[in-house]
Parts: sequence; C-alpha cells; structure tokens
Amino acid sequence: MHHPIVKISNLDKYFGRLHVLKNISLEVPEKQVVCLIGRSGSGKSTLLRCINFLEEPSHGTIEVDGVIVPAESKGKEKNQLIHEVRLKTGMVFQEFNLFPHMTVLENVIEGPVIVKGMDRQKAIELAEHNLDSVGMLFKKDEYPLRLSGGQKQRVAIARALTMQPRVMLFDEPTSALDPELIGEVLNVMKKVANEGMTMIVVTHEMGFAREVADRVIVMAEGELIEDTAPETLFTNPKDPRTKALIERYRSAE
Amino acid sequence: MTALTNSAQEPISQAEALYQAQLRQERKFRANVGVSWGILFLILVFLFSGQNFQIGAFTFKTITVDTAFILKNISFIAGGLGQTLLISTLSILFAICMALLAALGRLSKFPPIYALSTFYVSLIRGTPLYLQIFFFFLALPQLGIVLTGIVSGVLALGLNYGAYMSETFRAGLSSVGKGQREAAMALGMTPSQTMRRIVLPQALRFAIPPMGNDFISMTKDSALVSATGFVHELMWRATKVGRANFNSLEALIMAAMFYWALTLILTYFQGKLEARLAKGDR
Repeated sequence: MHHPIVKISNLDKYFGRLHVLKNISLEVPEKQVVCLIGRSGSGKSTLLRCINFLEEPSHGTIEVDGVIVPAESKGKEKNQLIHEVRLKTGMVFQEFNLFPHMTVLENVIEGPVIVKGMDRQKAIELAEHNLDSVGMLFKKDEYPLRLSGGQKQRVAIARALTMQPRVMLFDEPTSALDPELIGEVLNVMKKVANEGMTMIVVTHEMGFAREVADRVIVMAEGELIEDTAPETLFTNPKDPRTKALIERYRSAE
Repeated sequence: MTALTNSAQEPISQAEALYQAQLRQERKFRANVGVSWGILFLILVFLFSGQNFQIGAFTFKTITVDTAFILKNISFIAGGLGQTLLISTLSILFAICMALLAALGRLSKFPPIYALSTFYVSLIRGTPLYLQIFFFFLALPQLGIVLTGIVSGVLALGLNYGAYMSETFRAGLSSVGKGQREAAMALGMTPSQTMRRIVLPQALRFAIPPMGNDFISMTKDSALVSATGFVHELMWRATKVGRANFNSLEALIMAAMFYWALTLILTYFQGKLEARLAKGDR
C-alpha cells in the first residue's frame, strides 16, 4: 500500500524575482516520517508552508490525500480546495502560536468546534485524550503565558492532532526552545510517529532524523539535492553540499 | 488550585521577602499621597470659605460663595448628570463602531477603502469638535436635515472620538502577530472566523485601557453639547441658573465638582477593569 498522502508536482515558488523553490516533485506515502534538512535559506520552510498554502505556490500542483490543488486554479473553487487541504494537514510552528486569550483546552477544541462543527463535548473528550498523550492534561485550564516553551509546543502538537489530520507538518518545532526543553518535544513527536502518523519535519535535530525518520531529504538553493534513508545519509552522502552540512552538524554536536 | 500549594507554613524565600518589602513601601507611599490629597482639598475648600486672616501686616480675604444659592440649586444641576452620562455612553458606543471601521480600513490593502479611512480621520482631526457639533445642529437644517440637540451631539462626539480612537484600534489590531493568523488559517478557519475569534478579542484587550481614558474625556467634552441650548446636561444647567441669578461662580463650582466626582468614579472602575485584564494575561 503506497498510496501517497502528499504529492507535490513541479512546484515553483518565487518571492518577487527570487526563485526560492525550483521545480520540486515529491511523494510522501502514508505513515512515512520525512525530515527536511538544509541550511537556512535553502527553501525547506517555504516548501513545507506551500503544502498547506500558508505560502501560495507560483506553479505546480499540491495534492493532499486525494485533494488536488493546481497553482493555476482561482477564486472560490481554489479557496474551497485549500480549505479541504488544511483540514487534512496539522501544522506545528517554530513559535508555537498558541492563542493567548484561550486556555490550553480552549486552544485545542477551537479548531474542531469552530471549523469542523464538532459537538463541544465530543471535542473536549478528544482534546483531553490528546493532551494526555502529550503529557499536558494537568495544565488544561492554564493560559499559555503560564507554560514553558516545551509545554507550549506540546499543547500546539495536541491542538494540531485534535483536528485529526492525515499528515502533520512541523516547521522547526524545537528551534525556539531552550536546549533542556528540546527533549520533551522530540519525545512527543517520536510518540506521534510511532502511532503511525505521516509526518514532514523541517528540523536541525540530526539525532531525531537518524532515530525517527524513514527518509531524509536535503535541500539547497531551492532544490532537493539528496533523498535517502537516514543511515546512508550519514555514512555515504552523495552531494558534496550534503557532506559539508553533515560535517557542520557533527562539529556542532 | 495553585494558590493552595503555597501553604502558610512554608518558609518565606528571599525573593518573596523582597517582594513583600517592596509592597509595604508602595503602600506607605500611597497612604502618604492620600493624606496629601486630603490636605490639598481642604486648602481648596478654605480658599472658598469667605474667611479673613492675617499674615504679618497683611490681611487676606478668601472667596465668599453664596451657600443659600448652592443649596437651592444643587439638585437642579445634579439633574443634568443623567443627560451627561447618556450622551457620553451613546457617543462612545457610536465612536467604537466608527473607530473599528476606520481601523480595519486603515489595514486594508484596497486603496479606496484605505483612502476613505484616512480621509475621514484627517477631516475630523483637522477641525474643532465645537465646530462639528454646530455643523450637525446649525448647518444641516439649511439642507433640510433637522436634528435634535442630543442627536447632533452624539453624532459629532461619536464621529470625533471615533477618528481619534481608530489609532488605538489600529495599534491593537497590529499588536496581534502574523503567527496568530497563520495558526488560525492552518486550522482551517475562514478569514472572518480568524478576525472574530482570534484577532479581535486580542486587539480589544489591548485597546480597552485607552478606551477607558477616552470615555472619561468624553464625559467632559459632552459639556460642549450644551452650546446647542437644547440638551439639559450639567453644563447647560450650570450656565442657565448661574446667568439668571448672577451666581455663575457658585453654579460653575457645582458643575465642576460633579464632573470631577464623575471622573474619579470612572477612573476607579477603569483601574479595576485594567487589573482584571492584566490578571488574564499573566
């Protein structure tokens, strides 16, 4: 069963005249965990954000779980397709982006109740289940300002999971965290991966990539320069730029 | 729940002790300020007490007020409080609507909407409030639109304050980060759901303290509406009885005291409100 959950075909993205994504095609099958790595400015975050249309692709097609959105489509029809794609994708941001005027529980049920029209009681049950699995149920009535960065990110993961997405997108989920808080978030992500969620993770955490990813994709200058299993990446990188990148991470560790 | 974990038996930490000391010092300062206020108020009363007193070779005489006149007319002037509050409340509600529209217009990427908003703010801020009130009351009838004093007053005050408050609202709306909108969009919220449920609640929380200040200013600027001669609020009543009996001094002192009291009460409630909002944030 290699039904792709995410399929990107011939994707181009320009910021003005700057060509940041160059004819990218990529398929992610169900239950696969993909890590996207690369130096900053290589286009990895932009690629991730194109999948749920936080960035509008300039050309090409995005397909998520059977919903096909060509960049050329327009108007109401396109908005409807984008909406369907967003319902199938959960996103976790570097800066958490919890809603500060809502409690933890309210943050997590907001999407299901308001966007999906789920019964409030049912949403609360689901939310409490997910908060429990990220270890944050005990803070459900707190406001986000009272939480540490790691706790905020775990709540943000629970919020995305409660929308019951087909794929989870992580945009440098540990880059804004103090070093001692990174572990708790990575552990939660590992758990989500083990439960069979399809995941695309933009990260600098090589340990996580080595241990959890099924596949690592390296980006440079808006192109995919390497697409391989983590073992081969670390032992036998093809592209000299990948070698340099791995060296940099090695020396940082 | 968290309050219970700090039981009384626990030894007080250094930081806690420092905080307590700072709190005591602050309380002492506030008490001293309160006493000084009392003394200043007594001096003010004394200045209007009609006493003679001597310092060295000089004899001083403080201002004499007609107490009989005050007692006779105080209830008549107090009768204007209701109108003052009514005008202020209606005007602030109207101003909030205008300010919100103008602020959203200011953030619009559509040039005509942006222009409409800045044009309105510029026109209103570029002309006196006094003129605006008269425009509605005296100029519009020439075009066949006759408004009562109250309606002219509320329209003018609302439009005027709306223009000034739009800046507060705009700042409130821009204080909500891009990440908040993106998080809402990623959840699948429509732009209007994002505005209503995520952006506006946070923007309003930011804008409420300055809005309280505006409401307090409004209660005083509502005095300008008395110039139409048809709204029987505090100022109108004070000038009416003052002129009729040649007792403007007493009449205006009474009105001033009512405005001041009103302001003090509103400031007190505003402080309470701000403290409550701050608690939700921290």
